[in-house]
Amino acid sequence: MSTPDKKSPIEGSKASDDSILQVHAKLQHTKPEKPDGYNATPLVMLGVMCSAIFLGSIFLVHGSIRFDPLVVTEHAKREKPGAAGAVALTRAQLGKRVFTGTCATCHQLNGQGVPGQFPPLAGSEWVQGNEERIIRIVLHGLSGPLKVEGHDFNNVMAPLGAVLKDEQIANVLSYVRQEWGNKAPDVEPETVAKVRADTAGRTTNWTAAELEKIGNP
Amino acid sequence: MTTTVSPSRAEQQEIDASAKWPVLVFLGSALAWLLLGGVMQLAASMQLHNPAFLSSCEWTTHGRLAPAAENVLVYGWGFNAAFAFGLWLMARLSATTLRHGGWLFVAAKFWNLGVTLGVGGILAGYSTSFDLLEMPRFVVLLLLAAYALIGVWAVTTFSIRNTENVYASQWYLFGAAFWFPWLYSVAQIMLFRSPARGVLQPIVNAWYVNGLYSLWFAPIALAAIYYFLPKLLGKPVKSYYLAPMGFWWFVAASALAGGSRLVGAPVPVWIPTLGIVCHMLLVLPLVVITINFLGSLKGSLGAVAGSLTLRFIALSIAGFLLAMLLAMVLAVRSVSAVTAFTQWESLRDWLLLYGSFSVAMFGAAYFYLPRLTGKVWRSPALTGVHFGATLLGIVLLVIGLAGAGCTQAHRLADAGASFASITDSLAGWHAFNSVGLGLLLLGNIAFFLNFIWISCPINSRSTASAEIPVPPALTLATKEGHA
Amino acid sequence: MKNGLTLFLGVFATLALSWAGLLLAAHKQLGALPQFKDPVEETLNPAPLSGLARQGALVYQDLGCATCHTQQVRSNSYDTGENSRKWGERAGYPRDYIRDSVVFFGSSRLGPDLRNVGSRQPEAENLYRMLYAPESKLGGAALAHGMPAYKFLFTERAIGSSQPSYKAVKLPAGFGPAEGVEVVPTARAEALVAYLMSLKDTYDYPTERGLNEPAPAAHAKEGGH
Repeated sequence: MSTPDKKSPIEGSKASDDSILQVHAKLQHTKPEKPDGYNATPLVMLGVMCSAIFLGSIFLVHGSIRFDPLVVTEHAKREKPGAAGAVALTRAQLGKRVFTGTCATCHQLNGQGVPGQFPPLAGSEWVQGNEERIIRIVLHGLSGPLKVEGHDFNNVMAPLGAVLKDEQIANVLSYVRQEWGNKAPDVEPETVAKVRADTAGRTTNWTAAELEKIGNP
Repeated sequence: MTTTVSPSRAEQQEIDASAKWPVLVFLGSALAWLLLGGVMQLAASMQLHNPAFLSSCEWTTHGRLAPAAENVLVYGWGFNAAFAFGLWLMARLSATTLRHGGWLFVAAKFWNLGVTLGVGGILAGYSTSFDLLEMPRFVVLLLLAAYALIGVWAVTTFSIRNTENVYASQWYLFGAAFWFPWLYSVAQIMLFRSPARGVLQPIVNAWYVNGLYSLWFAPIALAAIYYFLPKLLGKPVKSYYLAPMGFWWFVAASALAGGSRLVGAPVPVWIPTLGIVCHMLLVLPLVVITINFLGSLKGSLGAVAGSLTLRFIALSIAGFLLAMLLAMVLAVRSVSAVTAFTQWESLRDWLLLYGSFSVAMFGAAYFYLPRLTGKVWRSPALTGVHFGATLLGIVLLVIGLAGAGCTQAHRLADAGASFASITDSLAGWHAFNSVGLGLLLLGNIAFFLNFIWISCPINSRSTASAEIPVPPALTLATKEGHA
Repeated sequence: MKNGLTLFLGVFATLALSWAGLLLAAHKQLGALPQFKDPVEETLNPAPLSGLARQGALVYQDLGCATCHTQQVRSNSYDTGENSRKWGERAGYPRDYIRDSVVFFGSSRLGPDLRNVGSRQPEAENLYRMLYAPESKLGGAALAHGMPAYKFLFTERAIGSSQPSYKAVKLPAGFGPAEGVEVVPTARAEALVAYLMSLKDTYDYPTERGLNEPAPAAHAKEGGH
């Protein structure tokens, strides 16, 4: 380091810019020294580059899970799920929407109904019983005395055959048959269509007595 | 005197004279921002172990002060220092003068105005909340316009070069000059002008921050190192034939490595995976750079000890290698699972910005300032203070940030540790880091004083003039003789 | 490289590759990510934020909360980190963030992750207390480190002869203002707390859940690549 004198020398550089450019240009295009006739460095570098790209590609594909935009973890299943990727909903799940919109007003969201007025669906033997009966109830309504779970009811349920499609009726009946602890199989739209066709001419509500004559409980 | 091979004295002096005022303006602004940023960063660091400090004023809460400090250091200090060095070096290596330098004053003014408004905007509450893009929208055009002038100057100087050959430093400078405006404008468009949806925003942000560090700050640091090693050691860069490969691998791999900042994040998993792969591919340029730099330094410890610039350059090399290694380690998924969001990530970025880039800029300034101004350093003692404080501060901060990172990583993963206890255990480390930052600030004040004395014409009587020795020609190994 | 043109083309190609490979590709995949319609409830998820919550997001942005808090529940450390701290019921998905006009991923956990703070803190009162006097929540005045107090988000005013405000923040003893003074949140504080309360990613998207199910460990060896 220099001391502050007049015209003092500063730390000098050891190479001029021009020579740096020239010398390095030469070096760039000159093969390196061969100590004993063979320099392995270029081959080694080439080998390292190729294996780096190779291994890198494997890791990239392995860890990208099909480059799927919805996958955020590298531990996800690597095979495409196929149809399972689509959401498969049960009839009961689809029927919930119908129930909430149409039935819950009277039968309540918890399926308990209103004592003395609207019969409960939870635990109901009618709901879990013969599907032909409940399909008819939904299509053409029900009036008159009715016994559900040992309780008496005497009210009117409006017909919904004109309001709901076969698929919707099948869904909502499947829902009530499997919700709140009920255990009964799905109702299929084909069954609803068949019943609708069989009872095409009917205009009045059903009564409990008429329904009990249909099929097995 | 080997006058036959070195360029005539007038030519090199012409280049330096043409570059003098633009460079001094840029470096002067850079140093002013460095001091301001240092103070702000120190205050923000103190708020970490003493939250009540400055918290009653809305403008100085940590959430505004910390990003503002970072922006000052990156856009105020970092860019201005890069402009000063880059323009000078490009002119030198292209053996052409810096033409119409007056426009560069306009550029400097616009840039500094933009940064001032931007940082003021962050403190006033207009922050955009994106890492290193916090400056509000109204400064973008200012910064881009200023940069356009500077970038065009750098690229034009390169294109009208008088030299037959192109050197490694020029590749890196050219690349950096080209890449930044695109990184910045694409990020601005995709985040603010027509904002992308949902998680695309952090993806763009990660791409930008990675690009800023790997394709702007790293190349400029490398340009400085590649230039000063042969310049001050008097021997060519070791295994230079590997350097072009190192350049292309470094930039190609870094370009796609941004995703490693998003490991585990709610983004499509291929993005972090791509980032990890590219970070691992960086081992190749790391090897090339190690061979080039450490190979050149081998056996020259005496030269390093005797040269102020070389000491900073050696520190810059250490910082660069450490930063790259750390980035590679932190990208690994199992490591990132514990270290993400801890101070380890701050260390990774800070090592590149300060430990490598800033230190290289200091070294470069110690070289070109006497040559541009024709004066010597008024206080060699202060240069020693600068280097010592910088070295010690960096060591302290590396230890402190790593220590804090370890504590955080360990305790965040421990479900039994309440968050309050984590914050409590970090307080000591934060205080330690504040001390390190204070040291760095002291060193920078020492540098600033020397800068004022050497550049300010008022002081010309008390500052001795410099006698700039003629540099000899670089020679190859003895077998081949000189160029 | 002697040729400036080669250098330019290479430099240009690097950036083009970077932009296309990372940003363009990601944009093609996620740029139009729609809300998911629940087939049963027929709701759209994620639900948009209320107006007050949107204003609160702006307050979150201007105060720089993202400097110390993250908003991402990670998948690679969910079981070892976020789950045990009750920072989320599940790892985050890209679809969670489409309702945010500015996404605050954050990059530092000097403070806890906030993505599900609305689930963790069912009472807005806790959040007001945290903003006004964090020491009261963090273990007492003895703990001097941690979140700074944001007293400027509140108005301290004398109760006087009028009734105390129903919005006044109830503070534990020792952390409140002087006797006869109440602390009332400003509109900014209310917006911010409304935003924080809206932060809950509870809907479990069936598509994402199915796709992200971990591969069975047993098959990993047998199934091969």
